[in-house]
Amino acid sequence: MDFDLGDGAAELRLRLRGLIQENFGPNFLGAFTNNPNDLDATNSFCRLLASKGLLTLAWPKEFGGGGGSLWDQTVVREEMWAHHEPRGAQYMGLNWVGPALMAYGSDAQKAFHLPLIAAGDVIWCQGFSEPEAGSDLASLRTRAEPVGGAQGDQGWIINGQKIWTSYAGMAQWCIIAARVGGGERHEGITMFLVPMDSPGIEVRPIRSMLGPHHLNEVFFNDVLAAPDSVLGEIGGGWSVIKTALAHERVGIARYARCERLLSLIGAELSPHWSDLPSTLHVAWVRALVQVRVARLLAYRTVHAQERGEVPDVAASAARIAVTQCDQSVAEVLFSALDHRSLEAGSDAPLRGAVEDHWRYAQAATVASGTIEVQRMIVAKALLRGESV
Amino acid sequence: MNPVLPEEAVQVADAARRAFNDLGGVELARHSELDPQQREKIVGVLGQLGLDALDPRSDPISLAAAAASCAEAGRVALPYPLAASLVRDSEGRPTAAIPESLARVDHADLFSEWRVGTLDGSAGFVASDATGPLHTRLGPFVGTLSDLRPAAVSATDILCQQLLVSWTVLGALENAVNLATFHVNSRIQFGKPIATFQAVQFQLADAAVTVAGLRELAGFTLWRYSSVGEAARADVFALRLHALESARAVFRTCQQLHGAAGVCDEYDISVLTRMMQPALRLPVGIEQTAALLADAVVMDGFAGLFPLGGRA
Repeated sequence: MDFDLGDGAAELRLRLRGLIQENFGPNFLGAFTNNPNDLDATNSFCRLLASKGLLTLAWPKEFGGGGGSLWDQTVVREEMWAHHEPRGAQYMGLNWVGPALMAYGSDAQKAFHLPLIAAGDVIWCQGFSEPEAGSDLASLRTRAEPVGGAQGDQGWIINGQKIWTSYAGMAQWCIIAARVGGGERHEGITMFLVPMDSPGIEVRPIRSMLGPHHLNEVFFNDVLAAPDSVLGEIGGGWSVIKTALAHERVGIARYARCERLLSLIGAELSPHWSDLPSTLHVAWVRALVQVRVARLLAYRTVHAQERGEVPDVAASAARIAVTQCDQSVAEVLFSALDHRSLEAGSDAPLRGAVEDHWRYAQAATVASGTIEVQRMIVAKALLRGESV
Repeated sequence: MNPVLPEEAVQVADAARRAFNDLGGVELARHSELDPQQREKIVGVLGQLGLDALDPRSDPISLAAAAASCAEAGRVALPYPLAASLVRDSEGRPTAAIPESLARVDHADLFSEWRVGTLDGSAGFVASDATGPLHTRLGPFVGTLSDLRPAAVSATDILCQQLLVSWTVLGALENAVNLATFHVNSRIQFGKPIATFQAVQFQLADAAVTVAGLRELAGFTLWRYSSVGEAARADVFALRLHALESARAVFRTCQQLHGAAGVCDEYDISVLTRMMQPALRLPVGIEQTAALLADAVVMDGFAGLFPLGGRA
């Protein structure tokens, strides 16, 4: 029994923190702002990480990665999320689009797409959810009709609407789930890799408390996808989605930002921190414990993956804990700031990081699979006699 | 990084589980309440298991074996102060944390002398002359030590006992979730198992995730205690706080899922909930534990991804 990630992890952590400090000002709160410089800075940072072999540190060497361990990958995820994800929108391509391509892509797809992701030169978005297919993703209605034969020898015509699509306005590529043929539920679902500048794609931003760029509608009107745009088998998209979601569910280390903000808040409010009500100090330590538990549940999932297991249930359990922790910590931090929690921007407490965290945390229990779906997964496992 | 208990500890705990089940499982707690002499059966079994010779302070594997055995004791609400008895001094006296105002410990009458101290380390005693027990439904074996002689009591030992008590609570909560799962799968209402209702499933899922988190924290805290000893004070308090808060939520949920049966002693969940109350209230309950943790974090820091100051 050993919970030390080792000297290598500590060195990696310090190296990443150093690079972030050198390349971002103190006001950086992520790429998703109305200031285009923030997006530019994250794209530059991705290229810098790529040049140092850190962007795809955890990818297998055969795909141009560093062959790092899952724990290296975990450290990268923690440090990036803790510091407002300086990879910007590219984390999605790195965390799961790349791995899905490795698992299901043709040689040509791998040869084309993986180097672009590994170089930090491309942003991906994912077209999964639809207005009538949220948690019940298998009821999606977007359709792809083959052109030139049932195998789409001359391409595919895609029609439909996607929603909640993060970074669609920034992305160069979309991985989209569409139905082929007349199957129901999981049958016929097929994944396509589509350039976002294809004629017929329209992106409409959705105003939300999360801020700009996070949520969009994407309309596909007679979009012609190339014959070689299918990822995996025709009708085999559900397996790709499951792989993608498994990576995504452990992908965001929300607890890391929680830990960082909890560690900073005392100094931020100094010397008045000690004058705050004792109930607040107690709430703060409770939050520290909750964050530690969330991190440990995430680590349990990583450890199972390391042993070659597919820890679906453990990942759902971790996700329940992590997302609830995100929201609880947001409330504790807001309580500490009191009326100043309403302030945003560089003059706000912690330069707006707490205000930004609270807003983003509101969607934590919905994004990437609602907490209700995670509870259903956990409960069904329990009722089958499995341990959680 | 390896969050799994060492195999040696798992084997000790497996043997303890079989032995405690052979004693009757939760039934032994029921019998002991009516006839406290029944508890004496346990002493011989602990000897057969080698737990009377196990010292959790000697090495990390012994600590893990002690912790996992305490979880097995909690699973059946074993009517015996296993955590305290594992942290013996050279005279064979068990070690326990006590409230500041009164030297109350569970099963005080089972030992002629105890080594006791407060959680904040401000007072330590060799204590004897147990009075009681309370014979109440929530503290049937809780007694008070009346003869207190000031003595140096190792703060590390007190932390070790508290660590093992948290593992005891963990075992009880894991069994509570198992009992609730079995009940909702077998209880038929409206023509189908109540497990088919989503409201039931969600409560069960939340309880299971809570307990899974507690197990991970319990493992982490074992490692911290093994690694840094007394400097793990905040970690041990954090585990205790989380154990108490988990118990409040999980026992409540698991009783609720049993319906009226949840408060009937014919069902294990009721006995388990009652018998674990001393572990949850002694030496202090949730809010005082939280206050102690807040002080400890200021003093010692709190290990994590980002430093929190303190001495650690």
